[in-house]
Amino acid sequence: MILRRLLPPLAAILAAGVGLAVGGDALPLAQVLHALVHPHARDIAHTILWQLRMPRVLCAALVGAALALAGAQLQGMLRNPLVDPYLIGTSAGAAAAIAAALAFGVALSVLPALGFAGGLAASLLVAALARRGSGIDATRLILAGVAISALLAASVALLSVLARSISFQLTLQAWLVGSLAGRGWNDLRFALPYAVVGGIVAIGNVRSLDALRIGDLRARGIGLDIERAQWSILGSATLLTAAAVSLAGMVGFVGLIVPHLARRIVGSDARALLPASAFLGAAMAIAADAIARSVIAPRELPLGIVLAFAGIPIFIIIYLRREHRR
Amino acid sequence: MIRARGLALERGGRRVLEDIDFELRPGEFVAVLGPNGVGKTTLLRACAGFELPAVGAIELDGKPVYRLPVARRARNIAMLASDELLADELRVRDVVAIGRFPYRPWWKFSADEEDERAIAAAIAATHIEEYVDRVFTRLSSGEQQRVWIAMALAQGAPLLLLDEPTTHLDVRVAHNVLELLRGRTKTGTSVLCVLHDINEAASVADRVMLLGCGRMLALAPPEEVLASSLLDEAYGIKMHRARTDDGRTIVVPAH
Repeated sequence: MILRRLLPPLAAILAAGVGLAVGGDALPLAQVLHALVHPHARDIAHTILWQLRMPRVLCAALVGAALALAGAQLQGMLRNPLVDPYLIGTSAGAAAAIAAALAFGVALSVLPALGFAGGLAASLLVAALARRGSGIDATRLILAGVAISALLAASVALLSVLARSISFQLTLQAWLVGSLAGRGWNDLRFALPYAVVGGIVAIGNVRSLDALRIGDLRARGIGLDIERAQWSILGSATLLTAAAVSLAGMVGFVGLIVPHLARRIVGSDARALLPASAFLGAAMAIAADAIARSVIAPRELPLGIVLAFAGIPIFIIIYLRREHRR
Repeated sequence: MIRARGLALERGGRRVLEDIDFELRPGEFVAVLGPNGVGKTTLLRACAGFELPAVGAIELDGKPVYRLPVARRARNIAMLASDELLADELRVRDVVAIGRFPYRPWWKFSADEEDERAIAAAIAATHIEEYVDRVFTRLSSGEQQRVWIAMALAQGAPLLLLDEPTTHLDVRVAHNVLELLRGRTKTGTSVLCVLHDINEAASVADRVMLLGCGRMLALAPPEEVLASSLLDEAYGIKMHRARTDDGRTIVVPAH
């Protein structure tokens, strides 16, 4: 069990190593290591490592960890394995805000902030629609999320049809498929505080998520304040997802698949599941981003596409193999 | 212990029960009987503090249950709802351990010595030692029911509320589960338990609460309830009474 719990952090460390070692410019491993242990050196290897690769790896880690942590919490709360952090409208809201901003010619530098705000606003709308009494109704949350997301996606499509400019299309496309191209320390600085707050709230949710495993009514019977737990989980998931979306756009599948993989490795105990999901999510996003940067260098593949092509077969293989053994 | 005064309960905005007054004594087993839809589960939920009564109050040691802080309520009242199935692959020991929830502050991630003691005692009392390491969803219904009871015992509450704990169980397993609950009353635990089988209820309970026609028709020792025509009134059919070899009264619907 201990060994299994160590697996996700080890995977994240390994992925980070690979992420720092590979990139558009071929850099010998010795130079990478030298730059890594001499953070104040002033050569080209140092610049590549500390100004390009390090922030990229950290951005990818944040995006992967945040989405997986949000997905694990939402799946636990709704006890529905198909739930994905994008279900609560965050990504659709971010995409709509960004599409509108692009259509009105807003400066590119404020896009992450706008994406964050749009994502937050859409999630609040979904949560408001899903309210029943003082709590949240699981079915209504899913239906409201799907409905609002579809409406916002249609708005994005409409803007995309109306605005004919190529730069609009390209920037929007980068957001829709998910990409970390050009992200650096500043972007990380913007998203990190929200992700950290979301992560701290997630730690507080561990106890509720454990209780929720036996069903809402029974959880209430053992003294869980269901309504408070629901709002807290939704709040954490929204902050984490919005932070991830503001950095990388709509990176799919991590929030859906990683919690499943983590559950296979460490079980459904939230104390083990949440950290395992965060580490595995980070590992997957860092590895996918390393591939995205290096396969057709100097051009880049969108992160979301690499994740789909690399992550989904892994998921299918692990899932099917496991089903066979039963 | 728990006490209801001038209680009226609603379900989905419709009044289902009125004028309910009762008091549960420590170590007492009260079986709740009544036709489908009469409000047995609603009454249980109100006792657990899940729902607000339309009129009147349910009090635990003099305080309204729905006003108590959730954790404190859970340390005094354990409610075993017969609700959803489990999707998760939980091991039996984990399910029992979840019963310690109301004693765990949010920052504490693992069980302390007292938790471990309570979990071990609950496992021993329900005789589930042999399957503590198995996956809960792969147990039989009877075994699962024992595990739920173990969880409720780990909760350490002096009042147990159970909603049809013997549904889907064969007669022997149902008997064992009820005997197990009966045994708990000897340690001072009070049990309020919704049952469907009238004779089963009569054989295990100290008193039977009969609900029907929107009110409490009786709260009396089983022999009295079984002998009276209130039973026929509650269920709306004619009942025949018979005596068993060991002198107990049983009822069966008349043809």
